[in-house]
Amino acid sequence: MELFLQRLVDGLSEGSVYALIALGIVIIYRGTGHLNFAQGEMALFSTYVVYQFGEWGIPIGIAVVMGMAVGFLLGAVTEVAIVRPISKKSPFAVFIVTIGLFQLLNWLDGAIWGGQQLPNTGVGSKQIRFPSLFPSKPTDFVTILGANIKIQSLGVIALVALLTVGLFAIFNHTRLGLAMRAVAANGESAKLVGIRTGRVLMASWGMAAAIGALGGVVFAGISTSVSLGLMFTVFIYGAAAATLGGFDSPGGAVIAGFSIGLIQNMAAGYAPEWVGQEMKVGVAFLVILGVLLFRPSGLFGTSRVERV
Amino acid sequence: MTKPLFSIKQGGPTSWAIRIACAVVLAYVVLWIPTSGSNSLIDTATTALTLMGAALSLNLLLGFTGQISLGHSAFFGVGAYTTAIFVTRWGWSPLKTLPIAFVVAFVVGALVSLPALRIKGVYLALVTLTLGVVFPQFIKWPKIEWLTGGSRGLVDTGFKFDKNNRTFEIFGWNPWGNLRGENVKPFYFWIAVMIVVIIYLICRGLVKSRVGRSLIAIRDNNTAAAVMGVNLALTKGMVFGLSAAMCALPGCLTAMKGTVTPDSALLTVAGSITFLIVMVIGGAGSLWGPIIGAIVFQFITEKTSNWIEPDEIPGIFRPIFSWSKTAPSGGIFALSLIALMFVAPLGLAGLWKRLIGRIVAVVPQPVGTATLGIPTWEVEEPPSATK
Repeated sequence: MELFLQRLVDGLSEGSVYALIALGIVIIYRGTGHLNFAQGEMALFSTYVVYQFGEWGIPIGIAVVMGMAVGFLLGAVTEVAIVRPISKKSPFAVFIVTIGLFQLLNWLDGAIWGGQQLPNTGVGSKQIRFPSLFPSKPTDFVTILGANIKIQSLGVIALVALLTVGLFAIFNHTRLGLAMRAVAANGESAKLVGIRTGRVLMASWGMAAAIGALGGVVFAGISTSVSLGLMFTVFIYGAAAATLGGFDSPGGAVIAGFSIGLIQNMAAGYAPEWVGQEMKVGVAFLVILGVLLFRPSGLFGTSRVERV
Repeated sequence: MTKPLFSIKQGGPTSWAIRIACAVVLAYVVLWIPTSGSNSLIDTATTALTLMGAALSLNLLLGFTGQISLGHSAFFGVGAYTTAIFVTRWGWSPLKTLPIAFVVAFVVGALVSLPALRIKGVYLALVTLTLGVVFPQFIKWPKIEWLTGGSRGLVDTGFKFDKNNRTFEIFGWNPWGNLRGENVKPFYFWIAVMIVVIIYLICRGLVKSRVGRSLIAIRDNNTAAAVMGVNLALTKGMVFGLSAAMCALPGCLTAMKGTVTPDSALLTVAGSITFLIVMVIGGAGSLWGPIIGAIVFQFITEKTSNWIEPDEIPGIFRPIFSWSKTAPSGGIFALSLIALMFVAPLGLAGLWKRLIGRIVAVVPQPVGTATLGIPTWEVEEPPSATK
């Protein structure tokens, strides 16, 4: 029972990071119909920026907010300068550009902060110690039902839950949220009724990158260090969560993110011989494959209609 | 568009003269490298040929059929591990494992293609990306460590040359000399050349045939292709399998050099991205594209590999890259990938064709070049929001 509770909380805290990345993917997908392969690397860049702010002596709490602002700028500029002009050409070009951004940001992190760059996907790359947002000394835990739960895990879950509530408030109760939903529903009509779709898309990319930045910081805090390969598997899990929840459903992404964190931690914990640390990512693979094969719209997404 | 200055008749004497001239230059270069080139040049050329093979096979799938794969590093790895396992466990000669690897990778690729028949466009990219990430983890899986050697990998997977150098004689003639130490490099080079030639011929044979036209039809419009009588499922599955099988061959070559580890660069998903970069820079949907791409890629990588200390960076590049703590090749390729999408989505080959097209026109347009097009798929409209 104690073990179960610990795994539950660990799974949820990791899952919260996946939920954040998945949210980013979904927000961008809803606006433009593109899958942003650079989502994880954008988050990693902002994480390094937060680390840098920390080095300059800024307390981590403020550094995170500043890092998210940098992330917002990065996302917005990317959308305006690169993605928007290219998306007029072809979806293939957009795909290649997101891969290019992936490579570019990963290289940039290595070039600025040092570390082995691709091709190596950060395997064996330089680890930089990263501060945690919450108390994370070995003694910082609370005992619930006999299980020792890390305060850090609880803090992370609470933070992400809070952010999600805030986001949904923005989606449902602000003019920006209304505009975002209108653009998602029908870009052309949104333009006709006077919504500046360009600005909305820019804001969407910015928001996605800022949310990702928080995810990166939280994950770096959990794993106590940041390295070039940090966000790579996280992106896979986040993408798995977005697939499971449905690419156009923010709520689905959050629920699926938590579930994937739970599933993979439980699977790795209870079947160490079969799943273990090595095949954790295999769980994500099966989820993506299974969902796309049997229910392409995910659990909460709207099903796609194909037109000839 | 302005009218070209010259026009060359397809199959006419001028066209043949150009072809023969190109073939002579190519043959000269290929012969010059292993006989007169330095050892490091031979190494570079072998690596470039490895990338060429993988990018050519990816091109058949992505450039011609419009199916994205970010999992080709896995097929590459299947080749490497097939050779490694057959050589270390059952003492096969590495060259004989090539057909086995081809078949194994074909089966794996065809299996992967089963979901690929339902999953399209960027979702397929996601699935294959995950495949590429899972593959090295799968190799390290404790359950199959007895076969793959786990994360330590396998050693002694290469050739065992006998003392008298009789193993690789061709009808009693030994062109290799004493296969020891550095002398082995030309030998690997020739294997790489053989693999690339095989892959190129398969691609060319397919693309210039009826099958190739159906592939291009699938790329340009799935539904229309089906209406025209293309068997979508069969064709896509076969091409996926074939592409995987061809990608396994250069993988075998890496194993033949001696060791295989699951984390080596081309076996991880970074390998898939490298193949994609090579293919896109060279030119998607062009037979020559990946060949040009691999040469350019390897050239830039080698030239910039020591640009870490500012003193090493030559001339005008110094102020641009001196701040960087790592070699700049990764950034150069990433930027050129993005820039190419703006100016020349069909890569260097497409750029070349566009420029040369202003001066020379080939009449009638040869099959397979007139159909140069951007791989595409229908964008799904973002589905209407709920409520």
